[in-house]
Amino acid sequence: MDRRTFLKIIGSGIASAATGNLLTPGRTLAKEGPSAKELYGILVDTTRCIGCRRCEKACAEVNGLPIPDISEKANESVLKTMRKTSPTQYTITNLYKTEKGSFYVPRRCMHCNQPGCVAACLVKAMRKRPLGHVTWDLNCIGCRLCMISCPFDIPKFEYNKAIPRIQKCNLCFGRYNKGLVPGCVEVCPTEALMYGTRRNILEEGKRRIAQNPDKYIEHIYGEYEVGGTSHLYLSSVPFEQIGFRKDLGTVAYPEYSTGFLYAVPFIFVLWPIAMLGINRATKKSKEDEGHHEEKGKH
Amino acid sequence: MAGEKLETVDIVEEKAEGPSIKSFGNFIDFLKKELKPKGNIATPFNIISLPIMLLGYVFIVLRLAYGLGKPVTNLTQEFPWGLWIGFDVVTGVAFAGGGYVLCFIVYVLRAEKYHPIIRATVLNAFLAYLFYAGAIVLDIGRWWNIYNPMVGNSFGVNAVMFLVAWHFFLYMLAALIEFSPTIAEWLGMRRVRKILGALTLGAVIFGITLSTLHQSGLGALMMMAKSKIHPLWYTNFIPILYFVSSIFAGLSLTIFEGSISHKVFGPQIDEEHHKSYDDIVVGLARICALTMFGYFFLKAILLVHEHAVPYLDSTMGFWYLFEVIGFVLVPCFMFVSGAQQKNLSTIKFAAVLTIVGIILNRLNYTFIAYNWYVPLSERYWPAPMELVITASIILSEVWAFRWMVNRMPVLRKPPAWAIEKEH
Amino acid sequence: MNKKLIYLILGVVYLVIIIYGLNAVYNVEATLRPKEAPAVKPENKIAIAHTEIFGKLERPQVIFYHNKHSEALKQEGCKTCHPADEFDRLGFDFPKKVVKKDEKTVMNAYHDQCIDCHKKKSSENKKAGPVVCADCHKEKDKSIVVQYPIFEFNFEYHDKHVKKLKEKIGKDDCSLCHHTYDIEEEDEALALVYEKGTEESCYYCHELGKKRGPELTAITRVAAKKGLSIRKASHQQCLNCHLKYQEEYLKKGKKEACPTECSKCHTGKYKTVAELEKVPRPARDQKEKPFINIKDAKLKGVTFDHKYHETASKTCRSCHHETLKSCKECHDLTGKPEGNGINVARAYHDVFSEHSCEGCHNKKKSEKDCFGCHRNIPIMDIESVGSKKEACAICHSGEIKGPLSRPPLSVAKLDPEKVKKEVTVKVLEKEFEPSKFPHLKIIEKLVKISNDSKLANYFHKDIQTLCEGCHHRSPAAAEAKKDTPPNCRNCHSIAYDPEKLNKTRLLSAYHRQCLGCHEKMSLEKGRKCADCHKVKKGGPTEITHIKNENVVKQNKSRILQVWRPD
Repeated sequence: MDRRTFLKIIGSGIASAATGNLLTPGRTLAKEGPSAKELYGILVDTTRCIGCRRCEKACAEVNGLPIPDISEKANESVLKTMRKTSPTQYTITNLYKTEKGSFYVPRRCMHCNQPGCVAACLVKAMRKRPLGHVTWDLNCIGCRLCMISCPFDIPKFEYNKAIPRIQKCNLCFGRYNKGLVPGCVEVCPTEALMYGTRRNILEEGKRRIAQNPDKYIEHIYGEYEVGGTSHLYLSSVPFEQIGFRKDLGTVAYPEYSTGFLYAVPFIFVLWPIAMLGINRATKKSKEDEGHHEEKGKH
Repeated sequence: MAGEKLETVDIVEEKAEGPSIKSFGNFIDFLKKELKPKGNIATPFNIISLPIMLLGYVFIVLRLAYGLGKPVTNLTQEFPWGLWIGFDVVTGVAFAGGGYVLCFIVYVLRAEKYHPIIRATVLNAFLAYLFYAGAIVLDIGRWWNIYNPMVGNSFGVNAVMFLVAWHFFLYMLAALIEFSPTIAEWLGMRRVRKILGALTLGAVIFGITLSTLHQSGLGALMMMAKSKIHPLWYTNFIPILYFVSSIFAGLSLTIFEGSISHKVFGPQIDEEHHKSYDDIVVGLARICALTMFGYFFLKAILLVHEHAVPYLDSTMGFWYLFEVIGFVLVPCFMFVSGAQQKNLSTIKFAAVLTIVGIILNRLNYTFIAYNWYVPLSERYWPAPMELVITASIILSEVWAFRWMVNRMPVLRKPPAWAIEKEH
Repeated sequence: MNKKLIYLILGVVYLVIIIYGLNAVYNVEATLRPKEAPAVKPENKIAIAHTEIFGKLERPQVIFYHNKHSEALKQEGCKTCHPADEFDRLGFDFPKKVVKKDEKTVMNAYHDQCIDCHKKKSSENKKAGPVVCADCHKEKDKSIVVQYPIFEFNFEYHDKHVKKLKEKIGKDDCSLCHHTYDIEEEDEALALVYEKGTEESCYYCHELGKKRGPELTAITRVAAKKGLSIRKASHQQCLNCHLKYQEEYLKKGKKEACPTECSKCHTGKYKTVAELEKVPRPARDQKEKPFINIKDAKLKGVTFDHKYHETASKTCRSCHHETLKSCKECHDLTGKPEGNGINVARAYHDVFSEHSCEGCHNKKKSEKDCFGCHRNIPIMDIESVGSKKEACAICHSGEIKGPLSRPPLSVAKLDPEKVKKEVTVKVLEKEFEPSKFPHLKIIEKLVKISNDSKLANYFHKDIQTLCEGCHHRSPAAAEAKKDTPPNCRNCHSIAYDPEKLNKTRLLSAYHRQCLGCHEKMSLEKGRKCADCHKVKKGGPTEITHIKNENVVKQNKSRILQVWRPD
């Protein structure tokens, strides 16, 4: 080839690389993906929780939400009903009366290892940060698919606002960068909430079960459920009795849509080829063309 | 409807040369002329639909001002998707499936029998996507970020929704390209018309590929709601069920909408087309029947495969059987009998049944069999404003369709210069 | 037109079914909640359902009013309905004439027995029961559950029976109730024998379904074949005797009769161990204080106060789970089949068993008075104890007449300088006032509890043992030498240790130690925040102050939010 052709090729190559870079900088700049760092989580020991709701108050203070009233009187009436998290409450505590006694169970985002909400988000507004925090960001379009995909029904949408957001616990991602533990963990008086790397808190949970076989049932909720979560729960009674679903399976939720996603490239390539083939195969010979023109089809 | 009688002869002569649009100014004048209503304004249909549409537009402004909560919609934290996504988007797109199926039949399989209705169907598909997929903008909470899936550096490529969003956009373009020859004829642009005609096959093939993926993609959206959808409806093959049902949903709507169009726009349609129409409907009925039969068997096999047969003995089981037998099997047999006896009224009734069945099926996945174990007080019903806005969107689409059919060569023959060669 | 009408009707039908279906589907949740069966006072009623034969019932169960029948058939007597065996003992299996146990036979037998009698009575113009199906199989009785509380034949009842029967007969005759089954005997009729000195609990042979050793399994198999569950056997044995004496009493006009009605025995009232303490236990020449010594065992023998331990449980079976013989007869050093392979060390020391010494002692430690401290103290297992010989020596004294109690503890010898009367905790003071707690009072209370319990008194050899209940990681001996008190903060840091995030911090150390004890000992005071430390007037209202700034900005901001990159 001559110089001109060579330069043309090189030039177009550089141009396409540059445009590709401009259009998708995320891909070419090797942004930080999931690394081998530790995931952080919380071990929730429901036998230690005393239902004081200081975690709810701390969470509200730390995130600028309306501060709940956690006086004795208020707690008594609030704990009578089963609550769910809401756009203004990232964590709530419920009271369950069982044969073995009353248990208080704090519920919030489970920060799954492979979150359904993250897999569902088409603009990566829901992201799993390298250290395990599952956070929401402002480029969200408000499609609410994350709400449908969460097996624990955690993301909550601000329906009553013209500028709505998805609200949920983010494991105090902002505080982590300052070297602090989540607000709820800091104020818990009985250390029902224990913060640490998932590996460590899992070990701690297993140790507690092994050393106190009468006190705990032999299951850590979140160890394998939905592929593993970073919020691990210990309980004295079977988990159905304290408001946990046992039918969620151990398959990580994003796996449910991978079947379809894997089929996409095949259909994208094979369908056009097949249809073009059929179109060519059904083409009538030249002799019939004359007839068709006369008929005047449109 | 009755007042829109048009003289066949005049139109052919008038459009024989087409409007001479030499400049942008010409175009504006032409458009102004075209925007004037043709025929009687105070028809019963107009009188009923116009107030609803205007009320709907007012409500849309309210929705933008107040957000998605009450009183605009009844959406809750348990039921984040309601009538707008469940019906407008998901069902509306299923119904627009007639477009790609018919394109496949006419352009790929070259069954020229169905050629007369192809333009109306493609127009319907295009408008359906434009209005219903466009209605998504209304339903997503942060609509000003709507361009984020298209532009930017934060693409959630693992998300099924990402694929669906892109496909909606691309399919709108493909449908527009497929329909653009008609627009070119309307504007009298001959050279453009020729170029666009050459693009048709490519757009069709692209459109069918896209349709396959996003029709099944709408089903794949619900795959991660495994714990919330009743086991009778949830299977690993929801995308395939959605794809197959979109075929007969689209064709049923084509039959339904076709029969209304042929009454309303009757005068535009020439003798030959009228005569062949019955044949077309019978043919479509056969295709529907076959697909529905296959769909029914798929459902039966999946029921056994997922070990869901014991669930049939319950309230939800009754509802499931009602949907599958009453709205799939019964219309299937009605299509078969109607096609055999060439009885159009049976076929039309079956088409209506199928349409209702598809609506029920899609709504089941969205808020009826979704979170089905929740107490009555937490359940979702569409709010009045939601219904009005939905109605106004549908009526707006009908008005757009009517406007285009009355002015463009959709149902009537195209100008003589536009007759093209075998593609 | 005809066609149009058909389509219209069809359309309406579909619409109606849709509306009906949606209504049913939306109300599905109410059907998912399990219906609670209404609890009904037994009052001598019997529920005849026989679901073991019929499976799912076609008609509702029949509630049988026994009182009505026994009243009405006073003259005719019990044998009208109850089958009698060759010894003229009443049986309690119904219906009377049932050879095969299949649905039709049983149903017909009941109907023949009941309806025929009712018909007869009504033909004699007497008050009679129902003859129509629905009058017995009442719809409203469908989900009623008739359940009688289990009857406990405790030591008090046994003692009463022994005394009363001795009064009647003039001597002790245990054979009136007690028997054993001679498995070797070929003639079944002669197999039930009585041998003095082998009286045991009915439960050993008649508690079917429980896994037993090889010897007893053979016998329980026979009992199972004859259908002699504890229920059937005890009714047969007890009721027949009661009925016999009942007649006598009634003839003599005595009101106090042996109970023959269901609710008279099945009262649901049970005696506690404490209430039964003074009741004399059945005498079978058992040793009061046996010396348990295993030949060739590593440790010395144990003096065992059997007489005291008899009063510490409700039945002998708590320890003598298979037979009234001594443990080492089935459990030897190496383990044999009679003992299910469990060797003697494990038989006495298994901390999780209900029958071993350590197991029972361990359970006692979870009682209210003990659990406050003992919830934190790890269970002493043979493996964990290691070579701490002094722990073992508490029981294994090796003396035949070894010590069975220790001198009571006292606070008198405590140094008031070292052991403070009141302790103030103010190291974590922020939103609450410093907390003052009555240190000496708590010690005195614990001493009292320990002295009152024989078990505690035996194992708490000195007062320093009690200190370790709260001061759990500081050995008393070392503490005694120091000048500073054993502060919790010496080990429990206030701030988070990022390397050891699971180390209990001071805040939770205090709360779990104190609150845990109060909760486990079921104390009324000290459960609410204000009981221990009042809210500081003018103190901080926020409990944490460093915020998630971005999220706060989002939540507090009202301006339009725009998309921003990473």
